[in-house]
Amino acid sequence: MSISEEAYRVMEDIVGAGYISSDAVDMEAYRGGVEGYGASMGFAKVMSRLPAAVIMPKTTEEVQKIVRVCNLFKIPFIPVSTMFWLAQSVPHVEGSLLIDLKRMDKLEIDEEHMYALVESGVIYSQLQEQAMRRGLYTTVPGGGSQVSVIANMLDCGFSPLNFRNGFPSRRLLGIEWVLPDGEILRTGSLAFSDDPFWGEGPGPELRGILRGNAPGWNGSFGICTQMAIKLSPFQPEKLEPSGISPHTTLQLPPKRMRWINFTLPDREALINAMYKIGEAEVSAAMTKVPIFFRVVAKSESKEDFWELWRKESEESLAKFHVLRVLLIGYTSEEQLDYEERVLMDIMGELGGEPRRTKPTDESWFKNADSAGMWLMAGGYISVEYCLETIESAAQQGEDYATLKKQYTPPLMADYGDPGWFQSIEIGHGGYFEFLIFYDPREDTNRVDHFYLETAKLNIKKGHWTSFCGSSQPIRLIGPAYGPNFHLWMMKVKETFDVNSLSNPPVPYEHDVFIDRAEWMHPLEDWKDPIKDWKDPNME
Amino acid sequence: MKEEKIKLNVTEIENFYYDITRCIRCKGCKWVDHIYMPGVKFSTRCPSEKRYLFDSYSAYGRLKLAQAVIEGRLDFSEKMLDAIYKCQLCGACDVGCKRNLDLEIELPLEALRIRAVESGKGPMPQHKQIAGNIEETHNRFDAPHGNRQKWLPADVKPARKADIVYFVGCSASYAHPEIAEATARILNAAKSDFMLLGSEEWCCGYPLYITGQIEAAKKNAQHNTEAIRKSGAGVVLVSCAEGYRMLKVNYPKMFNKSTTEMGFKVVHLTEYVDELVKKGTLKFTKKMDLRVTYHDACNLSRLSEPWIYWEGTRGEWGVTNPPMPRRRGTNGIYQQPRDIIKSIPGLELVEMVRFRENAWCCGAGGGVKEAFPDFALWTASERLEEVKETGAEIIVTGCPWCKDNFNDAVKKDDINLKVYDFSELILQAISL
Amino acid sequence: MNVKEGLIGIVGNENFSDNPQELTFYSHDSSLTRGCRPTYLIKPKSGQEISKIMKLANESRIPVIPCSSRVHFYGNTVPKLGGIVVDLSGMNKILDIDERNRKVRIEPGVTWSQMVGELGIMGYRVMTPLLPHPARSVLTSYLEREVPLVPVYEYGEPMGGAEVVWPNGDIFRTGSASAPGYPESAGSKGANFEGPGLNFIYLIKGAQGTMGIVTWANVKFEYLPKVNKTFFGLFDDLEKAVKPLYRIQRLKIGQECFLMNNLNLALILTEGKKEEFEKLKMALPPWILVLILSGLRRRPDEKIELEERALMKLRSEEFREMKISTALPGIPSAGMKLQDLLRKPWPNKEIYWKHLYRGGCEDLFFIGKAIDAPKFQEIVEKVALKNGYPREHLGCYLQPIEYARACHVEFNFYYEADNIKEIEIIRRIKLEAAKILLDQGAFFTRPYGDLANPVYEKAATYTAVLKRVKNIFDPNNIMNPGNLCF
Repeated sequence: MSISEEAYRVMEDIVGAGYISSDAVDMEAYRGGVEGYGASMGFAKVMSRLPAAVIMPKTTEEVQKIVRVCNLFKIPFIPVSTMFWLAQSVPHVEGSLLIDLKRMDKLEIDEEHMYALVESGVIYSQLQEQAMRRGLYTTVPGGGSQVSVIANMLDCGFSPLNFRNGFPSRRLLGIEWVLPDGEILRTGSLAFSDDPFWGEGPGPELRGILRGNAPGWNGSFGICTQMAIKLSPFQPEKLEPSGISPHTTLQLPPKRMRWINFTLPDREALINAMYKIGEAEVSAAMTKVPIFFRVVAKSESKEDFWELWRKESEESLAKFHVLRVLLIGYTSEEQLDYEERVLMDIMGELGGEPRRTKPTDESWFKNADSAGMWLMAGGYISVEYCLETIESAAQQGEDYATLKKQYTPPLMADYGDPGWFQSIEIGHGGYFEFLIFYDPREDTNRVDHFYLETAKLNIKKGHWTSFCGSSQPIRLIGPAYGPNFHLWMMKVKETFDVNSLSNPPVPYEHDVFIDRAEWMHPLEDWKDPIKDWKDPNME
Repeated sequence: MKEEKIKLNVTEIENFYYDITRCIRCKGCKWVDHIYMPGVKFSTRCPSEKRYLFDSYSAYGRLKLAQAVIEGRLDFSEKMLDAIYKCQLCGACDVGCKRNLDLEIELPLEALRIRAVESGKGPMPQHKQIAGNIEETHNRFDAPHGNRQKWLPADVKPARKADIVYFVGCSASYAHPEIAEATARILNAAKSDFMLLGSEEWCCGYPLYITGQIEAAKKNAQHNTEAIRKSGAGVVLVSCAEGYRMLKVNYPKMFNKSTTEMGFKVVHLTEYVDELVKKGTLKFTKKMDLRVTYHDACNLSRLSEPWIYWEGTRGEWGVTNPPMPRRRGTNGIYQQPRDIIKSIPGLELVEMVRFRENAWCCGAGGGVKEAFPDFALWTASERLEEVKETGAEIIVTGCPWCKDNFNDAVKKDDINLKVYDFSELILQAISL
Repeated sequence: MNVKEGLIGIVGNENFSDNPQELTFYSHDSSLTRGCRPTYLIKPKSGQEISKIMKLANESRIPVIPCSSRVHFYGNTVPKLGGIVVDLSGMNKILDIDERNRKVRIEPGVTWSQMVGELGIMGYRVMTPLLPHPARSVLTSYLEREVPLVPVYEYGEPMGGAEVVWPNGDIFRTGSASAPGYPESAGSKGANFEGPGLNFIYLIKGAQGTMGIVTWANVKFEYLPKVNKTFFGLFDDLEKAVKPLYRIQRLKIGQECFLMNNLNLALILTEGKKEEFEKLKMALPPWILVLILSGLRRRPDEKIELEERALMKLRSEEFREMKISTALPGIPSAGMKLQDLLRKPWPNKEIYWKHLYRGGCEDLFFIGKAIDAPKFQEIVEKVALKNGYPREHLGCYLQPIEYARACHVEFNFYYEADNIKEIEIIRRIKLEAAKILLDQGAFFTRPYGDLANPVYEKAATYTAVLKRVKNIFDPNNIMNPGNLCF
């Protein structure tokens, strides 16, 4: 299905002929389905479509005009930044316009007031470098510094570096947004002037409808064209890049930054350490180290990984309790030393021992380390990642690990690893993530089953989930949380996307997937599943 | 999972189906290594991605095109050829991907061109023209083969027998005799005897290989290898990065051998001179008060690691057996040229933002200069923007094709910058 | 059944009133907002009762005005179009204290004195704004985004999951409190405020009761520092105080930190005792930076020492001329007094500190950048003078937010409570100054009363979208109409 010539010509005039294409070869390069995050899982296979055309605007005005053209000609559209989350970044319906925002790469930093104004084409490593040069830093997410700042801030925004600053949605300042009907909304202080330094209000905060908890609207509520995000005070010395690929790393200034890995005698001690460190209000980042992270860090290939991994066992996993803590001397070298003494006091009480730790960072500050997650088996997805409390995170992990046993294989055996968790908001919160690995060449139906079963497990156990609104069937999750948050969400969507053009059928794309995937039908036991969804744009 | 037999063999693109379909779209092939990321400016490593923007002009997009070819969804249309040939095959994508993953990128891109030529649709007409030149006159310029050694000055006498044979290459033989002359004089100054192959030296075959014309390239490779063996040389010295990579990496690749099995060692002038300087055999006596920046030519740096022949199986979880060797660009020729510069009195080395394995290609390679001269020039201009930021007065490189392209860009953009080949710089520094 | 009967049927006779005297109490507050009397007053005890009230109000198209305590400063609880005042002060339970995750779940009627008292005994503290009224609702302060005195917590503000009743009567949980079975049996602990789906709580915050009614919420608490040391920066000129403020904040030195003019600080320290106040006001420099260094749970003295050294190093390297002292001229032990005062609500339940000076006080506040504070001061003083209001009655309080990335800027117009002429002048000044400030980088994120119109006019697109969203949740516009742009 193609875009009408009339529409195409108008859009060509808007951006210039060099920035729009509908050529079959160009479109093929945007194919989803078998690669990347969620590679070859049912959703990617069933719901991926080639775009009918790709367009690359440079300015907000161009974006607005494009969205208006889409509304005029009833063309579904999907905005993308880096397309790292490939399964969610490709159209799900025929005849879609893919709006690639890579040309929008403005990056400005207000050093004194500690914020950065970015457009969708800016990625974290770019921002982090420029921030660090100004004595500031940002939270580079677990997804890696190769992800788009805007897309990630709307969608996730989680990392051990959240230890001090917590929830991503609070890090949003002034936002500029093209709504699905083409109106431009500016929030916070951006509603009044060109200065996006503050994000609240005026009055009730419309940024509340732009981003919820993860994974956000996933492009189904228009397009964010600019966003200001908070940066945090950092320390003044340079993190020197060194090494040749693949051994590149940042040398940490030893008197101002230090990672320390601690081994603790058991899981409870590790959890207690997290709480106590939070209570003591020290450290800049803190994460449990899952054993497979450690093995991946020592591997440059699958062969390396499997050679090491096969030496691990349930016993070795049961003894592996490593807490990785980052100290930053924000105020002074003395402050770092003080924090280290406090840390040692806590570890002394809990039986924690410091391990030899490299004075470098190749993972959290600027790298795209998450790519290593594909090293093991070629297929990876996190079936859950959410912010709650440390103890909820620990419990949720154990529950998931128990369920996972039934699905291993095809899931990679991980000796019962009960998930990964970190501390945020100086111990007030905890972040939980459960990663699974599988070979995409194999039958992935049971991987799909496991993924869905985790949603049901969350409901059964009253766990929090990030997948409120897309990424799990909304008609399953919706009634359970709120309750019925999805009804409000759909009302908001219907108000501003009357023609249902912004990345349909998100946020109920997983409902449609399950409807279309026969192997999912036996699991479809909730009250009101979607049946025979019809693309409104096809009628 | 059934085991599949695979080889690191670019004549069958199916060998790389796993790599092609395991791309995770992290765009490590596009971005400068994040550890070295400077900001928005100079943040990417792929010229075609930056110039043409559509995914089909990036490595991640071209892998999708390769997948479509293998799966029979697309053939080699004009547009497809445009997408796959507007690429210098500079290897930046390969190295970028391998920072975090273990996938082959450069090899399937080479294999894609080979498949295009096999289909009868590729390469570009300009590449076919050059193939014709090489077939006729054994050089890419269609210049008389008999003139290949015309550059040799009267007072430089190659040895009849020596351990070193200097493989001059088409550029130095015909277009840049000053490079060949400088190289020869440097060897003289170091009292290193060397041989020349004379009329037995044919084009190294780079323009054939890199455009997918592998059968023709193999012919030249066979001839040159035979000539080198006949000469009895243990070391082949080159002053051209393209020649360096061809002889060291692609010849064994075409012969299904490893570099170590070829029977001779391939050495670039900068490697050789660096050794001589460190041994004390060559001394830099002339002071040159200049701010210089060094351009890492792709074929000398990230693409130059020795080739390791491999065949085996891929099984459960994608694990290969025996373990597939990975060439990640770590051990390319990076430090030697820099050490030379640092030992020349008065030279101040300033690095560009994108250096070593992150270097932005000069723009000339991969058949781009021939088929898409505007794109080649644009790429060079982008690089010269980076040079401008260093404040360097001269740029030096180890490849005559880089030198050419930079000079063209200097002229076009009217920039105050001198472009040196390394041989010229060394010659000046040893006061000859 | 009529509305009155319906309401009595929900809350019972004892929690209902249409007595004119009682209703008059709700027709005004400490602000200069003009309003009217409500039609009814009810005091529900649960979310279920509130749900029924909302349904009834919708059917009958009667406005609902929620108020969580009997102390109000901004005019948003004053009915504009009559309606039912839903007084939540009776819902004043501290529901659970989760020490492990350092949060507490409270109902809207819980007051500052209740909260600080109960947590204080346990060694904890919540983030307070500057000297809140002891009888004011804690939740209201947070929902209205009152700026905390301690700018060091980068997580910004303390809310977690909450329960809200939407205008259509739906009882809804926000954040991770929405997980099934919370709080009794859920794996979730209600700590996350985001979601589910949308950030619903953001629609309630700053809404001045126009989007729904919160029946309980989780809020974070921290440890009460046991060891403290107060420093004062003394400045003749506001401009000279701004840069040190930025630098101190950037180096993360201290806990409580703010700038105040001498009038306000004297008022607070002398608790308004006339003679002492006048004397102290004269003795103090025009501007004072208050900075409290505190030890944390472990090695507290070490923390104070290192921060003190950092402060002195900053002064010697960058601000040689800056006067820093641990004492204030004209009042002994000011530091210790402030350490005690600032971590509690105002001690006097009868008279709030802002009413001690001249009886009445009208605030003009907004968010801006600290660097612009001198400019803002100049504008306000100019407008005040033009209208005959002497600057010696003008209070000023500058509260850096999150390491001074922004700043709460507050001007206090003190007036004689029964001086109608003066009241009119202040109304005029406030509006006139606000209009100029709007164009000069002042961001009125909480536009109360008369300020709402110019603010929402200027942010026209935002206003249009906000109204569309309001229409989703409250199509009959029963929630506190006449506030904001509704």
